[in-house]
Amino acid sequence: MFRTSCRIAWASLARRASRSVLVVVMISMSLWGLLFMEGIYDGMTEQMIGNAIRSDSGQLSLFAAGFREDPGLHRLISRDGDITELLANDPRVKSHVSRLRQEGLAATAHYSRNVMIYGIDLAAEKSHGRLDGYLIEGEYGFGAKNKGVLVGARLAEKLKVKIGRKLIVSAQNSAHEVAAVALTISGIVRTNNMALDESAVFIAMDKARELFATPEGVSQISVIVQAEKDIPAVQQSLRQHFGTLQILRWDELYPALMQGRVMMKGFNLIMSVLIFGVAGLGIFGVMLVSVLERLREFGIMLAIGTSFAQVRGIIFTESFILGFTGFVAGSLSGGATLLYFYQQGLDLTIFSHGLEEFGMDVITHAVIRAQYFITAFIAVMLATFVSVLFPLHLLKKANPVEAINRV
Amino acid sequence: MFFKIAVRNIFAYGKRSIITVVLLACTTALLVFATAYMDGSHARLIQSSVEIYPGYLQITQRDFRDNPSLENLIFEAGQVSASLRDFPGIAVFAARFESYVLFSSADKAVGGMLTAIEPEKEMGISRLAASLKQGSYLTSADDARVYLGSELARRLKVGVGDQLAFVGTGADYSFAADNLTVKGIFQTGLFDFDSRASFVAKPYFDRVMAAQNYATHFIVQPVRPEEAETLAAAIGARLGPDYEAAAWQQTMAGLVQAMRVDSIFGYITLAIIFIVIFFVVMIYTLLVIYARVREIGILRAVGTTPGQVLAMLLLESVLLGLVSVLLGGVIGGSLAYYFHIHPIVFSGFEEQFKQYGLALTAMPTDFAPLVIMRDMAIMFVLSVSATLYPICKVNNFRPIEAIHHV
Amino acid sequence: MNLTTQSKRARAASFFMMTRAFFLCCLCLLPTSLPAADDAREIIKKVEERLNGKTAVLKISMIITTSRATRTMKMDSYSVGNEKSFIKITYPGKDYGITFLKIDDAMWQYVPRIEKIIKIPASMMLQSWMGTDFTNDDLVRESSISRDYEARITTENVDSYEIELLPRPEAAVVWGRLVMEVAQKELLPKSVRYFDEEGLLVRTLQYTEVKQLGDRLYPSRWVMIPHDPEKAGNRTIIEITEAAFDVPIAEEYFSKRALQRFSD
Repeated sequence: MFRTSCRIAWASLARRASRSVLVVVMISMSLWGLLFMEGIYDGMTEQMIGNAIRSDSGQLSLFAAGFREDPGLHRLISRDGDITELLANDPRVKSHVSRLRQEGLAATAHYSRNVMIYGIDLAAEKSHGRLDGYLIEGEYGFGAKNKGVLVGARLAEKLKVKIGRKLIVSAQNSAHEVAAVALTISGIVRTNNMALDESAVFIAMDKARELFATPEGVSQISVIVQAEKDIPAVQQSLRQHFGTLQILRWDELYPALMQGRVMMKGFNLIMSVLIFGVAGLGIFGVMLVSVLERLREFGIMLAIGTSFAQVRGIIFTESFILGFTGFVAGSLSGGATLLYFYQQGLDLTIFSHGLEEFGMDVITHAVIRAQYFITAFIAVMLATFVSVLFPLHLLKKANPVEAINRV
Repeated sequence: MFFKIAVRNIFAYGKRSIITVVLLACTTALLVFATAYMDGSHARLIQSSVEIYPGYLQITQRDFRDNPSLENLIFEAGQVSASLRDFPGIAVFAARFESYVLFSSADKAVGGMLTAIEPEKEMGISRLAASLKQGSYLTSADDARVYLGSELARRLKVGVGDQLAFVGTGADYSFAADNLTVKGIFQTGLFDFDSRASFVAKPYFDRVMAAQNYATHFIVQPVRPEEAETLAAAIGARLGPDYEAAAWQQTMAGLVQAMRVDSIFGYITLAIIFIVIFFVVMIYTLLVIYARVREIGILRAVGTTPGQVLAMLLLESVLLGLVSVLLGGVIGGSLAYYFHIHPIVFSGFEEQFKQYGLALTAMPTDFAPLVIMRDMAIMFVLSVSATLYPICKVNNFRPIEAIHHV
Repeated sequence: MNLTTQSKRARAASFFMMTRAFFLCCLCLLPTSLPAADDAREIIKKVEERLNGKTAVLKISMIITTSRATRTMKMDSYSVGNEKSFIKITYPGKDYGITFLKIDDAMWQYVPRIEKIIKIPASMMLQSWMGTDFTNDDLVRESSISRDYEARITTENVDSYEIELLPRPEAAVVWGRLVMEVAQKELLPKSVRYFDEEGLLVRTLQYTEVKQLGDRLYPSRWVMIPHDPEKAGNRTIIEITEAAFDVPIAEEYFSKRALQRFSD
């Protein structure tokens, strides 16, 4: 019986081919647009968040008490050994890095600028936040004698320096003396985390310890967990063990980015409802007309003993075929488009100034989530289902005999 | 004749007409409103960041923007003032002198900006006076009284009435230092600005900093801020090559481009909605016209030419389109107008705005009749073109075929 | 806001140029050195010894010329090596009595007008020197030629040596190379040319008008000429009008109390 319903449904759709095709095209176009939008917009948001997490905050960051309000070498995490041991043994933690930082000055023969000096472990940063991926020039290394320095892109521009040039970095050390070191620029990084691009110089941790005269302690420990859902739990357990420290999530350090994500979610939801609402209206029109046109046909079917449930099945099947075909076509085209932008990225170099203002990457890589397709599927199914309810209601009200006698 | 038939047909196929009109009107309203919102919020964002302090139009010595040193000051402030007075299109203008000093309270020393302003004129230019939090705003007669950013005050641990000292460099490179009394504390909401900026009256500043007749820049408030660029060009021409007059579009180029990017994405979003609407309108037109294939066949059989049928059907869709677009325009326009008067408030998103240097949460929409008309025209063209395919398709039937069409 | 951030640095620079310029004479160039191994080093060492005493009491005039104006400042300076110095401004009258004290890396300033001693924060001492004739390297850091550079005589003229100074790899100096001209007879510097890494001449320091000052022959006029196109026409001239070297200086000059006490 089901097969008969399907065949009847298919036949009636085929009879009005151009109409059916239009509906399918409409559904697939709306789906394509929606997927494209969601993927690109989420890509933008996630990229911004990712940049902040990778280059700075991690998903969790630990600081000594009072460090954020009054940063300096007098507020270091002294039990960093215990913390890193705990983190290393926590299966929920994917990676963690320690950094040492101090304000200072970078100078060339021509220019000098205030900078933030970061003592880092290159290998750890690479596996932690893929810092190497931000390198736009030079190489990711400090050379054999740790005399190299990685410089933020905007800072490099302002100092007018190139790879291989000498940079004198000076800072007040823990003994309140001004210490300086001659370094060679080995690489330039662009993280699109504006604060870093504008003022960061990264030097080897050992070099920083020497320069700052701080044999132990770190300024910040940045943590990335295996799964995002574990963040609160890891934060909680760290707080239990090291209650005196400031232990903050990325969204506490970058509240604006979290708001951006929430806004984007809300926006995507509104767009989905709007688009599927309109698309549902399209399906509704087609189904309504196709039921009304065939009142006579259905009347005959009912008169010869077909049950109403079967007629309803036919109508649902018709609607489902339209919706499902549209969904498949839309998912394929939308998915392919997203895949393209996932791999190639959307290049907005011409707007680089504006994007920098937002702290965004010039090339946006789309995000592809199974959830997009699931939501879309449910939405399409819902739209196809709801849009036949009224036509069915009309059909039920209509007297079959009357229907047969109609012209 | 066609008109009559078209109108009759529209009413005869009431349901189709209503759905089409509702759809198109809603879409038009959406477009009109979305555009009004986008333009309005962008204008507001720019306005707020421009008006907090930077101003719509800055006049500097030619090299100052590239190399802001004491060598590149405006040394003839009086002359610039005289040139700007009575200049058409200027609502108010004021001189400023920005200087970097070291503030010192009890035993805290903090670096910050000490800027000389003309307090009364400044009220017509920036939001400094409106950002007052405690105490009171400055007057020109204030001597050694400072209007301090809230964060700076917090860092120096001073309140209204307290003393603090500053040390800096005068315009002639001499040492400048004095004790100041905090007259007022302001809070713009921009952390960076509030933690660095402080203001004193220019007559006082000129005396201690040896800056008589000097200024780092002039700020001009145009009568029509949207024409700042034209005004800047005119002022630039008047002042000659020793000066540079730059509108906010130039001084805040990054922000302008950021807004443009946002608009582009806004329009992409709208375009996607339009594609869907386009198809829905096309489907509905197709449905209705197919229901009328027989009728059209008969018309053709009795001698109506295909051109006449085409004209009749097109007229129908034009009329429907017009009604929808007008309706939508009125709805969208009224919404835009309403929210222009009663701005939409985004509480809870202050942080996000602040990160972009914007201290505001209320977003008025932009009510611009010309833009609304443009959007209506776009929707009208879209709605009529959506009906072209069904109309042409049905017109291709041969009369006999059409009459027998089921 | 753009304007604000831009000018912030410039203002900062000019302010700190003033403060630091006072220390120039005392700790700028040639402090005591390690024993020299070869001729060039020997020469440099002698030059350093002659130019710096163990202690120095100087009366200095500083004439700063920019494209806009020329201004003069006068001051008394008391210094012990690189570590301690005390400076008092004596001219112009408006600034009379402003005193500075630098002990190692800490720096204080006293301004009679506000009757206040201000400790200049380290972050500010490190501020850039944009648009001025000196870089922070001259003043904040204790750069020493014999410690930081490898010396080599490149030319021996009739009455002078030309010595090329290349920074040692570990030396924290911004320059790519210095060329110092030394008078053979007096073993006093005639000029130092500062080059960047690409070999571009950045600035020249000339030592002229050698005369008897205190116990020694001494170049009494130092002229710093920047070569950056944006600084065309700028000059900073330091004139040493009176000097006494290797004389004992009362320890009380190098205390915070001295700032106010010796201000009058």
